[in-house]
Amino acid sequence: MKIAILLKQVPVKDATLELSGDNTWIDEDDVQFEINDSDHYGLAEALNIAKANDGEVTVVTMGPDRVKDSIKQALAKGAHKAIHIDDEEMSSTDPLTRAKVIAEAIKDENFDLILSGLQSDDFGYGQTGVLIAEILGMPHATLVVETEILEGKIKVKRELEGGWFQNAELPLPALLSIQSGLTDIPYATIKGIMMAKKKPVAEVDADDLGVDLDTGAFKLQKIYTPVKSKETVVLDGDADSIVSQLIDKLKNEAKVL
Amino acid sequence: MKNEKITSFLKSLFAGDIRQDIIFPFPQQDKEETENLQMILQAWQEFARDNVDPVEIDKNAEIPKEVLDGMKEIGLFGLPVSDEYEGAGVSKTSYCRVFEEICRYDSGIAVMFGAHASIGTNGIVLFGTESQKAKYLPKLASGEYIAAFALTEPGAGSDAAGITTTAVLNENKTAFILNGSKIWISNGGYAQLATVFAKTIVHQNGEDKEKITAFIVELDSAGVSRGKPEHKLGIRGSNTTSLNFDNVEVPVDNLLGPMGKGFLVAMETLNTGRLGLAAGCIGGMKELLQQANQYAQSREQFGKSLDKFELIQDKIAYIASETYATESIVYLTTGLQDRGGVDVSLESAICKIVGSEAVWDASDEVLQIAGGLGYSTEYPYERFLRDARIHRIFEGTNEILRMFVALSGIQGPGEYLKNVGKALRNPIKGFGLLTGFAAHKVKDTITIDHLKNICPELKNEAEQFDKLSARLAALTENVLMKYGKKIIYKQFILQRIANMVINLFGMAAVISRVDTRVKQGKSIEHDLPLAKLYCNMAASRVRREARYVTRNHDKQRTQISEMICENGKYPIDMLLDK
Repeated sequence: MKIAILLKQVPVKDATLELSGDNTWIDEDDVQFEINDSDHYGLAEALNIAKANDGEVTVVTMGPDRVKDSIKQALAKGAHKAIHIDDEEMSSTDPLTRAKVIAEAIKDENFDLILSGLQSDDFGYGQTGVLIAEILGMPHATLVVETEILEGKIKVKRELEGGWFQNAELPLPALLSIQSGLTDIPYATIKGIMMAKKKPVAEVDADDLGVDLDTGAFKLQKIYTPVKSKETVVLDGDADSIVSQLIDKLKNEAKVL
Repeated sequence: MKNEKITSFLKSLFAGDIRQDIIFPFPQQDKEETENLQMILQAWQEFARDNVDPVEIDKNAEIPKEVLDGMKEIGLFGLPVSDEYEGAGVSKTSYCRVFEEICRYDSGIAVMFGAHASIGTNGIVLFGTESQKAKYLPKLASGEYIAAFALTEPGAGSDAAGITTTAVLNENKTAFILNGSKIWISNGGYAQLATVFAKTIVHQNGEDKEKITAFIVELDSAGVSRGKPEHKLGIRGSNTTSLNFDNVEVPVDNLLGPMGKGFLVAMETLNTGRLGLAAGCIGGMKELLQQANQYAQSREQFGKSLDKFELIQDKIAYIASETYATESIVYLTTGLQDRGGVDVSLESAICKIVGSEAVWDASDEVLQIAGGLGYSTEYPYERFLRDARIHRIFEGTNEILRMFVALSGIQGPGEYLKNVGKALRNPIKGFGLLTGFAAHKVKDTITIDHLKNICPELKNEAEQFDKLSARLAALTENVLMKYGKKIIYKQFILQRIANMVINLFGMAAVISRVDTRVKQGKSIEHDLPLAKLYCNMAASRVRREARYVTRNHDKQRTQISEMICENGKYPIDMLLDK
């Protein structure tokens, strides 16, 4: 069974970000990068499925040279091989263009299953995986919390809103985005680290794939730092009234409840 | 007189020779080793962030099984073992850097790990036969076996030669029968394997002599019993028990190293252990600095945050520069060990002394920065302090290590002077020696050895180092002339000589580190202030110690101590005495 995990590299969570000169992306010079958090769960699920079904996991990552570190880490955690789609320019490209490039790069691999994380920590579109499924003409399911491989198909449990779940079966090949937080994420092992450098990494140049990079669904024109504004509201009344006001504000204004 | 045969930077320094060739350029790891190290560190950090809770470990005085299992799964237990025996096969430098990071998360885990990897496993790595290695190392590497190191006894702590555990060959000559007790054994409660030291009878030159021998003992053998875990001030996650041996049969195949060479096995194993321990102290200091910064920047008094006050800046700068120096000496020494062919016994003892004292000072000062909060068990500062305290005690107390450093160091010049004495009795035969001695004397009084081609940024510091090294050599010779063999009892003096060497080694390592970066075209923006502050503090400590060698109050100290001990208490009651 051939399984692909789409893995993105994003700035580390506590990175101090500066905007790039043309205000379309961040200045990457002094920023450290790491594997996108959600993608750890995708990788974990891919490794679990592979283990149970005698499968092989291929890491698919797009980005400049720096993403090789993340590829190596995924290989150290147990993935078998990797495809690196080398590109210097597409950090802030729209998801459709990215999906076209990735789909083109992997279409001949004939993966039985393509997994992705829920969304990326940088843009958070949550679309690239779904779009790839559409381009490659395969069914997809998002927010998957459980999987089971059956003969020629996969049974999935999806998380819906309000505590509801959906059970569905998809014919293979299929693409799934995996809900975060439910699988134990794997740690690299020292043996894995030593073996990682012997595992094959195929290099694909994004420019050679024949995808027109200027025909995206949208173009990012400008990014900017939100203007800071400070407002303190003092809640008056007795304890009960303050509590209900606070709950109302947390629910409807801060939207954290 | 250059003595090219001495391949120890510090032993040469005692004779006034600055063996720059040994410590310059500062040892570097290759790219692949660095990449692997980075990934191992990351694996541990990810695991520790998710699974290690130092507060719970301290409270429960136990490392959770999941943490031990996770560490085994990652492969950390195999760090000191070569890949030939299914270990990680990493350098000493990488090993110590990982150890540093383990200690940063939890000192109890670090002590458990150090007892297993640094001293429990290393005896077999260094002295094991092929079949011993093949039998035990893969199990130790996977963590199926956890190891311990059993030297200390109720009656033999620093005086390791005083152990009374015995191992007697049985009649069939198939096994040694082990009897005795060991105390303070880290991992004693659950280790499957221990390196145990015992007195044996060794035939030498036609007579029987009692000598220490090392054995690999499987702790599930009949006759082995383990004491209850000790309740400790700090490193509470680690398990410390006694081990008792009652007619335990140890197969002759489990003899570790040659008969009668147990002391050597212990010392060599501890050399490596001390480096890991010192690296752990670096991790502790880095964590303390981070905690101190966070607190100092968020706590405001008199309308500004603490970090804006000079007295707080003083503490932060002190801890940072000591961290920098400890890092420099530890990774210089591990680098030399990785390169091989160099004796680093003094260097690794110094790493342990410096690291353990620096992390103790750091935890004390950071607790002080935190004020009242620092004293509360709600915050981590008191735990850092408790955890840091042990490092000055175990794997050789700092006192005994200072004596070791000074005595091993002056041994070279001492031997030399002894030979000079012999040569004087037979001047024709000893002519070569005498000319050498004359040259040596001339050099001491007129010229001094120099660090050469040092980057201009540290030119002054290098000059200070040169002068103070010459002073060390001159003082060494003076005290040897004055006290002769009796020097071994002159602990006041020996301690000062040790302190001089400790600080000189720190300066040399720091200078080498910065100079090497400059020559590689790397930035020293962060390095230079730390290096300069350390070198200047160290130089003034060396000058002070040197002064006290000749001008001191040692007699009063001895007199006072004797007076107190005779009285059994402070002998004065100021207001009541007539």
